[in-house]
Amino acid sequence: MSEAARRLMPNERLRVALHAADALRRATLARTLAEDGYIVVGLAGAADVVLADGSCPAGETRIVVALGGNDDDVAGVLPLDADTNQIDAAIRAVAAGLIVRPPGARESGFGAMRETDGQALLTPRELEVLAALAEGLTNKAIARRLDISLHTVKFHVESLFRKLGARTRTEAVAKASERRRRETIVL
Amino acid sequence: MSDPKDPLVQFSKALVSRVEAGKDAVAAIRLGHGRHVTALVWQSGVVVASEQTLPRQEEFELVAPGGSVMTAKLAGRDPSTNIAILKPAESIAVPAIAAGEAQTGSVALAIGADGAGGASARLGLVNLAGSEWHSSRGGLIDRRIVLDVRLARREEGGPVFDAAGACLGMSTFGPRGQVIVIPTATIQRIVPQLAKDGRIARGWLGVTLQAVAVPDALRESADQSSGLMVMSVVEDGPAAQAGIVAGDIILSVDGTSTHRFRKIARHFGSDSIGRKAEVRLIRGGGVMTVQTTIAERQAA
Repeated sequence: MSEAARRLMPNERLRVALHAADALRRATLARTLAEDGYIVVGLAGAADVVLADGSCPAGETRIVVALGGNDDDVAGVLPLDADTNQIDAAIRAVAAGLIVRPPGARESGFGAMRETDGQALLTPRELEVLAALAEGLTNKAIARRLDISLHTVKFHVESLFRKLGARTRTEAVAKASERRRRETIVL
Repeated sequence: MSDPKDPLVQFSKALVSRVEAGKDAVAAIRLGHGRHVTALVWQSGVVVASEQTLPRQEEFELVAPGGSVMTAKLAGRDPSTNIAILKPAESIAVPAIAAGEAQTGSVALAIGADGAGGASARLGLVNLAGSEWHSSRGGLIDRRIVLDVRLARREEGGPVFDAAGACLGMSTFGPRGQVIVIPTATIQRIVPQLAKDGRIARGWLGVTLQAVAVPDALRESADQSSGLMVMSVVEDGPAAQAGIVAGDIILSVDGTSTHRFRKIARHFGSDSIGRKAEVRLIRGGGVMTVQTTIAERQAA
């Protein structure tokens, strides 16, 4: 097994140095890392990966996972509110020599106003169903909340999948949120 | 050693002299943590930067060409055209640079600030020079100029020159890491307004909107297939005062359909401020009309 592949194995104890200006955040992240089986070392210590809350510290030459920030030079970039599974996965991935970016990260930048595709626009009812999907509700629960039949819910969910080009509920929620980010306008 | 008549040597020397000429046009704006972005020395007392690169603060440290460090006050920013201007505390000599017109296929030389008073350079092509376009924030950009060039984050905001040394505009990151140029014409148009008012005035209703399909049952009375659903309403904004609530679907403003974003964005230019507007919308299964007065958009 290659060194890179071995490092992706969950039983490898990686050393992680933590860079966080906020004491509370540092404590929370340190606890999370320890629970995930990492050895948390001081910033000056020998570390396999540096986890930075916000921008990466100046002059850092080790492999960095940054929470938030938008630095092309670091190996790992996660959203500021990344969950513990994502942080864990990102640390293992960068330690194995991979680059980690959240979906949509490269979408940001000064861009053109996009006209929406009229065929794929969601109806207000579909948006309500989508909001319920995002909360993890079952079809039955959605029917109860919106006071519509189970059959109608299924109809809306299928229509959502088709319009969003999604195969699963999670994918539908993710694609809709990406689209909302692009298509929201402020007047 | 090298033959001075060798075309490649001459080409390289020409580039070096271009960069030498261009380096006085770039300053570095320090962002902290040892990071910086580039600014374009535009005129006496004004440097131009890429708005999206600047954090929300009033004062920055600027490294002028040559390396002297000074403070620079933010004097205006316009997210809709991605232009910000800063006024340095000390005067910076402005190099004489002509405005250039981009042509697809022409050589493009992008200059960045190295953070210590010097310059870094990137060479590529104008990948595409097209017509005017509207940004997602509603601003009008005079030409679509896309570069085939790599750029570091710290180089964004620097000038882009053509082969004759004329300035095509300011380098800017577009979506998906694409490098685009905010044309010189746009900077020339926006900077005087920014210097005067600190912002580009824009009409405002105080609503966040998302495009939705009009439900089948209402298509006929709405007479259009899509509209903009109100997702949130700013308290005490014009829309709130007119009784517009979240869930309403706006169909048109003064007869301009919301079916096309660009058309509706054009309707909210600086001349719209203070104008009465008739908003046609769907609420509770029916189509109705409310009156409102367009206000000035607050700083983003």
